[in-house]
Amino acid sequence: MKRREFLMSTAAAGATLATAGTARAQQRRTITVMTAGDQNMVDYITDYLGPLFERQNPGVSVRAVGTGPGDAGSQRIWERLEAQRRANAQTVDVDVAVIHQRMAGTMVQQNMLARYRPEVQTSNLVTNEVARNSLGVNVDGFVMPMFMSQIAMAYNPQTVPNPPRTMDELVTWAAAHPRRFGHNGIRGGMSGVGFVFAWMYAYAPNPQQLINGPYDANVIASWGPALQRFKEFNRNVTITPGNAGTLDALNRGEIDMGPVWMDMFYTWVAEGRLPPTMRLSMIQTGLPGQPMYYVIPERAANAELARKFIELATSPQVQAVGIVQRFNWLPGIDAQHVQSHLDRAVWERLFRDVPPDQLASMGRPMPQADFFQAIQQAYERNVMN
Amino acid sequence: MSPSRLLSILLILPALVVLLALFVYPLGFSVVSAFTDRSGAATLENFHTAFTTYRSDLIFTPAIVGLSSLLIAVLAIAIGGYLTLGENRAAVRILGAVYRWPLFIPFIVAAQCMRTFLGRNGMMNNSLMALGVLDPAQAQSFLDWRGIVITFVWKQAPFVTLMVAGAMASLDRSTIDAARNLGASRLRTLLEIVVPQVRDTLYVGLILSFVVMMSVLSVPAMIASDSPTMITRDMAWRIEQLGDYHTANALGFVSYLMTGLVAWFYLRATMRERAGR
Repeated sequence: MKRREFLMSTAAAGATLATAGTARAQQRRTITVMTAGDQNMVDYITDYLGPLFERQNPGVSVRAVGTGPGDAGSQRIWERLEAQRRANAQTVDVDVAVIHQRMAGTMVQQNMLARYRPEVQTSNLVTNEVARNSLGVNVDGFVMPMFMSQIAMAYNPQTVPNPPRTMDELVTWAAAHPRRFGHNGIRGGMSGVGFVFAWMYAYAPNPQQLINGPYDANVIASWGPALQRFKEFNRNVTITPGNAGTLDALNRGEIDMGPVWMDMFYTWVAEGRLPPTMRLSMIQTGLPGQPMYYVIPERAANAELARKFIELATSPQVQAVGIVQRFNWLPGIDAQHVQSHLDRAVWERLFRDVPPDQLASMGRPMPQADFFQAIQQAYERNVMN
Repeated sequence: MSPSRLLSILLILPALVVLLALFVYPLGFSVVSAFTDRSGAATLENFHTAFTTYRSDLIFTPAIVGLSSLLIAVLAIAIGGYLTLGENRAAVRILGAVYRWPLFIPFIVAAQCMRTFLGRNGMMNNSLMALGVLDPAQAQSFLDWRGIVITFVWKQAPFVTLMVAGAMASLDRSTIDAARNLGASRLRTLLEIVVPQVRDTLYVGLILSFVVMMSVLSVPAMIASDSPTMITRDMAWRIEQLGDYHTANALGFVSYLMTGLVAWFYLRATMRERAGR
């Protein structure tokens, strides 16, 4: 008899516990942050921003989901939202998404995003053009830049005392130093693709149209001489296997100069994978950079928490400590708001070689979305073939 | 219909369904896709794009694979020949044990090994520099089409050797002994007595290797992403970066034609073999 009583009381206790558990689960809310990009994007949310948000908002937990690097990662987020839209879902299960520029334009055009920026307190900290124009599409109000990443020329000052300042000077330098300039072409990552765009900004007849649109397929025919020149230039250069490949070749002394992502460059130096003597410089006709955007899908289940999350993510404090100091990115909001929250040493490390005024005058957006693809295809057809 | 007949149909049905669903349907789908545009209308535009944009790769792919096949044939005959005609017992046994190892290594692992071996600061160049054979300033990377050929030969030669050496071992030894007794050198015996007798096996091995090499993506992707490279890399790029399945399928269709041609040789060879029996 005793045994039976014991069993029954255990069962009752179990039931009580279970009910209490459900009650707690109802109080607890989870927001889902889905991010495209490399593993460091997921790390940023899970290791830094998520825990910070959870501390400030008891009862809320942040779930980070990575969808993979490049435009393909943004594409997966679009596919998920599109599937839920086709199923006529009342709410979608993505609260905050972090996406690339091309997809931001597409999603705005397809009415998939909420116009949340005016409701966020940090909205006036961004004046950069990229907060309004994403590869030629007006995205004003729908996006907040998470960070900016910028392509620059990394060089070894021991072998290149006076780095080229213009594309013409670079061409002359490469001819005088065969195979000592390296880039990764269009198949090995965006730093190479960005260099191809920079070449077009320097030598295509109307670079402003490539950036701002409107897209016109007839323009492609006018690229012949620029691409022909590129083909000749490529005879004097080393094609590296990727973004990391260019940095690696620089580290091994196989090349003396090449286009790299600034944040990767600083991270490699910090990790000791690249000598601290290496420097960065810009090209006068411009090198491209790109932001990643925070967006909130239309009908997000926790839209209010999502806005709060983005507010935190774009606050000067978080931009300084998380984006600049820990991950070596350039801030998504205007740099002057971030400066006061940073050590002088960190600030100077970030802007030592490429000061903010150079970034503003020589940093360019990526081309308008259709030109973006058209340039890659023209490069394949005329330069690689 | 008799019960046993029905049973046999039921037995092959799963295999048939799998074949139709996973092979015939996608194949037909990709062929149709190669000849249509995004709206579904018939067009040859995809082939125009494929031939204008990837002309050099369309030439290089069969050239790279063809050259690899040729080198594989030479190696397979040399290794198989030594296993059959070699006189140093220990050397034959060691070679027989060692030559198969690459068979068990996946292409992607082989490609990764070759990256560290053939790079400008790879093991090969470093060894040559340490030996004083190579001047560091003249060191060059083999991570281009040459790297692809080296990887393919390293990976596929054992496969063909396995088939050829097996065929050589089952030859009537008296023909070899007769040639040797009459004073033929080992090389001459190999080329004039042994190889002609295993020729069909050699062809079959090479054709199977050709088809396998045509379909490998990991090796060109890891060793030579930039042009000239192989069609598989272009197809992957077309899909990943541009979402353009139509041109990718047009490139795939051209690959079918190339492998189809060698498959026809294969069928002819096996038919002849059967007829000879």
